[in-house]
Amino acid sequence: MNAGLIQLSPLDLLVASGFVVVAAGISMGLKLGIERRLGIAALRTVVQLGLLGLVLEKVFAVRRPVVVLAMLAAMIFFSGREAVARSTRRYTGIGLDAWLTMTVSCLLVGGAVTQVVVGVRPWFDPQYVIPILGMILGNSLNGVSLSLERLLETLDARRHEVELLLAFGAARAEALRDPMRAAVRTGMIPITNAMTVAGLVSLPGMMTGQILAGAPPLQAVAYQIVVMFMLAASNAFGAILIAYGASRRLVAPDGSLRLERLRTVEDRGRGGRKR
Amino acid sequence: MVAPAARRSVTLPLMTLLMRCGPLTGQNGEGRVLFENVTLELEEGRLTVLEGASGSGKTTLLRQVAGLEPAPGARRRLGERELGLADLPPWRSMVTLLAQDAPVLPGTLRWNLEFPFGLRNAGDRRFDEHRARSLMDSVGLAGIPWDREAASLSGGERHRLALVRALLWDPPVLLADEPFSGLDPDIAGICSELLHRQARRAGRAVLAVLHDPALGAGADRKLRLDGGRLEAS
Repeated sequence: MNAGLIQLSPLDLLVASGFVVVAAGISMGLKLGIERRLGIAALRTVVQLGLLGLVLEKVFAVRRPVVVLAMLAAMIFFSGREAVARSTRRYTGIGLDAWLTMTVSCLLVGGAVTQVVVGVRPWFDPQYVIPILGMILGNSLNGVSLSLERLLETLDARRHEVELLLAFGAARAEALRDPMRAAVRTGMIPITNAMTVAGLVSLPGMMTGQILAGAPPLQAVAYQIVVMFMLAASNAFGAILIAYGASRRLVAPDGSLRLERLRTVEDRGRGGRKR
Repeated sequence: MVAPAARRSVTLPLMTLLMRCGPLTGQNGEGRVLFENVTLELEEGRLTVLEGASGSGKTTLLRQVAGLEPAPGARRRLGERELGLADLPPWRSMVTLLAQDAPVLPGTLRWNLEFPFGLRNAGDRRFDEHRARSLMDSVGLAGIPWDREAASLSGGERHRLALVRALLWDPPVLLADEPFSGLDPDIAGICSELLHRQARRAGRAVLAVLHDPALGAGADRKLRLDGGRLEAS
């Protein structure tokens, strides 16, 4: 069995970038107005992944725990920032909440998977720790941003319903039950979808990567199952923790709403709106 | 020592004082002071009507008393009991606001009548279906099936539903913010009568803001929020 890789040349990458150009062309033709964003996103992908490649080569070569931890800290920082970057509503402390969520999700799920399930030795082996935690953070990020957006929208648009419950003596947890439930449910959509169609519609990313790299399919499947469950946990942690954190900032312990702390951010793209 | 708030409060010969809340200071969205150091006192078995020009802060005052808006420094007393900030949820269950816009929860009409009785602070209060039916009948909502989505009710129907729920809940103090808006004069008269009856029961009091002065004609006491002060009118 050929365990080797077909090497990709810069020319191959250039050809692949044609897909983005086609998508941008469609956007211009249909006046969707997303070509600028698409271009920037594509550029970011190239620059970020390029830099990552360079950094990973160094980190893998050095193999020191402090370097791995520093890299994880940087990943947590960026994932927290990105998780709230596109939120249409903000409150003071939103960034801190996102970072805390990411850190907890990263430590709990990442720790369990790398140290217990996979049993990485030495514990900081960057070849395992960094990609696994990268996946966890990426999924937490999805959970966080969807859950947060839904929670803030619900509290804002349906404050009268929350206050109706409060007016009859509901405790904070009782008044927040429905908004929290809606937020977590929304935050879990990507991973429940991914788990439902795994293997039927899509070959999940990690498995695809391993098979492309020449791993035996059953081994790739075993890893993918671990990864799916891990991602479900990180997605759920992200969705739940951020909803918990945000609701505690926007609703006082006695239940009164502190929605004056909430502000609407004007979308920097088209179709922006002001409150 | 008498606090300034107490000096400014209305001093009428009191029957039994049921509720006292203050000093309250309210601002509007732009930060303009609507009222300052106001203390509200309600007597047992009486219907008090709160008047005042639009924008004078009546709704803000009611919301502060109900504990839905922050009222820094305010002390809350119900009967012999002094309730602190940590007791706001139980306070709200006893000093309940009937909100101006008569919001409903997603779900059926039945759920909208029953939900308060499932809350932790409901204590030993139980939903009385028989009384609910009879109240719904008297406000002219007998024909609406209870499994109907509450969101599909008209504005006037929602106001009546909210009134029925508040009467079933039967809190010691009911704060009603324009409870009859959008109602036909006939129905408004019936609802007004129900509110009067609720107010005059033992251990109960009602404070109402009414858009139509005629509906408050039989009130036991009238207060006016004017120029930032609460005065008897």
